[in-house]
Amino acid sequence: MRLRVVLGLALVAAMLVPTATAAGVEDVSVAVAPERIATTLGGKFSFTSTISNDGATEARGLIAHLNVLSLRNGTYVDPEDWSTNRTRYLQPIAAGESTTITWRMQAVNDGDFGIYVAVLPEDGSPVPPVTGPTIHLDVAERKTLNAGGIVPLVLGIPAALGILALAVRLRRRG
Amino acid sequence: MTTAIEAHGVAKSYGSLVAVENLTFTVEPGEVLGVLGPNGAGKTTAIRVLTTILSPTHGSFSVAGIPHTRPAAIRRAVGVLPESAGYPERQTGEEYLRFHARLFGHSRPSARSVARTLLEDVGLAERATSLIASYSRGMRQRLGIARALVNDPRVVFLDEPTLGLDPAGQRQILGNVRGIASERGAAVLLCSHLLAEVEENCSRVLILNRGHVAAAGTVAEIVRQAAAPRTARLQVAAEHMEHAVAVLTGASGVDDVHRPDGRAGWLKVVFSRAEEGDGQLNLAVRVLLDAGVELRAFELEGARLSDAFLAMTEAD
Amino acid sequence: MTELVETRDRARGERSAPGWLVVLGQELRDLWLGGRGLVLSFAFSLLVGIIAYLVATNTDLNFLEQRESTSLTLQVAVAIGGMLTLLVAADAVSGERERGTLETLLLTPVSRRELATGKLLASLSLWFAAFIITVPYVWFLGNGVGIVDEALVAGLAVGTLVAVFLASLGLLVSCFAGSNRVSLSLSLFVLLALVAPTQLPAGAQQAWAGDLLLRVNPLTAGERYVSKIVVSGHDWSEDLSWLLSPVIGAVVFALAAILVGGRYIRLRGGVSG
Repeated sequence: MRLRVVLGLALVAAMLVPTATAAGVEDVSVAVAPERIATTLGGKFSFTSTISNDGATEARGLIAHLNVLSLRNGTYVDPEDWSTNRTRYLQPIAAGESTTITWRMQAVNDGDFGIYVAVLPEDGSPVPPVTGPTIHLDVAERKTLNAGGIVPLVLGIPAALGILALAVRLRRRG
Repeated sequence: MTTAIEAHGVAKSYGSLVAVENLTFTVEPGEVLGVLGPNGAGKTTAIRVLTTILSPTHGSFSVAGIPHTRPAAIRRAVGVLPESAGYPERQTGEEYLRFHARLFGHSRPSARSVARTLLEDVGLAERATSLIASYSRGMRQRLGIARALVNDPRVVFLDEPTLGLDPAGQRQILGNVRGIASERGAAVLLCSHLLAEVEENCSRVLILNRGHVAAAGTVAEIVRQAAAPRTARLQVAAEHMEHAVAVLTGASGVDDVHRPDGRAGWLKVVFSRAEEGDGQLNLAVRVLLDAGVELRAFELEGARLSDAFLAMTEAD
Repeated sequence: MTELVETRDRARGERSAPGWLVVLGQELRDLWLGGRGLVLSFAFSLLVGIIAYLVATNTDLNFLEQRESTSLTLQVAVAIGGMLTLLVAADAVSGERERGTLETLLLTPVSRRELATGKLLASLSLWFAAFIITVPYVWFLGNGVGIVDEALVAGLAVGTLVAVFLASLGLLVSCFAGSNRVSLSLSLFVLLALVAPTQLPAGAQQAWAGDLLLRVNPLTAGERYVSKIVVSGHDWSEDLSWLLSPVIGAVVFALAAILVGGRYIRLRGGVSG
């Protein structure tokens, strides 16, 4: 009888005590710096996200994922064009410790954008991801190409080569 | 002194086709050996084997004392004018010679000097900076001879050097050929189908036919070997012409009697075999005199190499 | 006598150059001072110029499309520059045979491998000339999107590997071909076969078979690598697997052209001497 009670209590305790598993994402918090970035079209920039384990046990099996979206309607954004390494598989974070990730990006569209980092469990369990604050990114328009400027090249290079070819031919004939 | 070329039983076959077989001969330094043969006799193949372009199927040879097992060394010691040599049209004569001189190991300054000297030697100094495209056939042949001499070779192979040239051009080329042997002391192997050219310029002759050596030796030896008939021209009085023809036709040792075109009053007599001395002519003269024919003049023509050549190459 | 020539020259402090270097020097002079190289470069510059003009004057060009345009210009340069190299190499031996100039080359002490080496290196000059012509266009298209340095370095590296591969292939064909026409035709056919996989539908290219086909083909693999650097902004080390076939192709075919092809430089194409 006593043994059954002990075993039953142990089972309840196991269910109640939070375990250090991938499902421990709710004890994680995300901070970003800076929270506001301004650049021009084509500009490369970076920011850091600090993922802290506020729980009592080790947090493991976590993924940090980067996303970009336009704050203005009508601008198509493909995050893959902005960053080639948007998904990071985190090392276990001890209780009370944190890990910092640096994200490098390039602004391939101009306008107003939001960037955020979400942390979620890699086992795909249905728990809400933890996100950090949205970074406001302001990308100024910049003229990246003066189309008319190519005409001197298109005309000049072949002309120079043609003249050179002719000169060499005439010189050899002479 | 090392023999310039020494070949022993050299043979070259392409599958079942025998291009050259049992080629055995020697050439000494300073000598000009003429190689004769009809088309397809194996002359060019023989040259290509001896100059290491082709490897022999059988036999052995040495060139300038270098055995055939060391082809690169042989190439350093020989100069060659191939029969069908092409020339880079967009180069000048001087550039062409400088390039080949450098391929034979000359430094830049040395190559420049050699090119200029050789162009002068072959009479192309004034056209040194002209494109080869503007050279005539004769000029190209001279350029080719110059190219064959850039490495100051001990043995020179010339395959049909006068092909396609006018008589003046031929004379000039043959003058160069004689100079190579006499002034440079190099051995020359001259391939030609022009019998007169070989007869005049070569100390010895090799006749090839269907890949075999049909005859080898001096011109006189070959003529004797072929027993080529000799001819004589006799001038008789016009009224005795018919009688002279009848008398000679029946004479012993006479193969043929006829009146040659363009020489009125003359008879051409072909004797049946070549012999030492003028015995057959003496016999013909005696026959005519005994028959009362008035003989005004006579010319004996020696047996020609061309006769021996035809006799040997048609016989096979 | 050449030993005496070399001894005399050495005594004067003059050195004779190795055979392959002499051949290379003359081939370069024939190609560039003879005019053929300049004519080919002129035609190349027209083609690249037209393409660059068409992409640059597209007023709707956005940032990414500008990167793609830069990549396209580079890829055209690699493909056409490689083709020019292939054509020159395909003429290297069979052309000499037909012009009757091969025999005199074979009569020199220079080994056939040195002949092959000199001719191979000379044919590569077409690629380098094509690249130099392309630089201003790449600068123009890529400067605004900050991709010039990466594009030029990637283009030069990949283009050189592809050019070595194609030149070696052309030289090999030239050594064995019975005529110059056969050599050029066969070389062009092989080039078209190498370019063909790029015409596969996108889905087919992404399937395992299509992907493999693109990876083993040095030309398509090299162009894919350039695209990943220039368009996708990847780091050098991220897609090194795409460089595998260009590197292997360049090394293997170059060795084959010199060591094997060199042995088969003969008066008659493909006939045992």
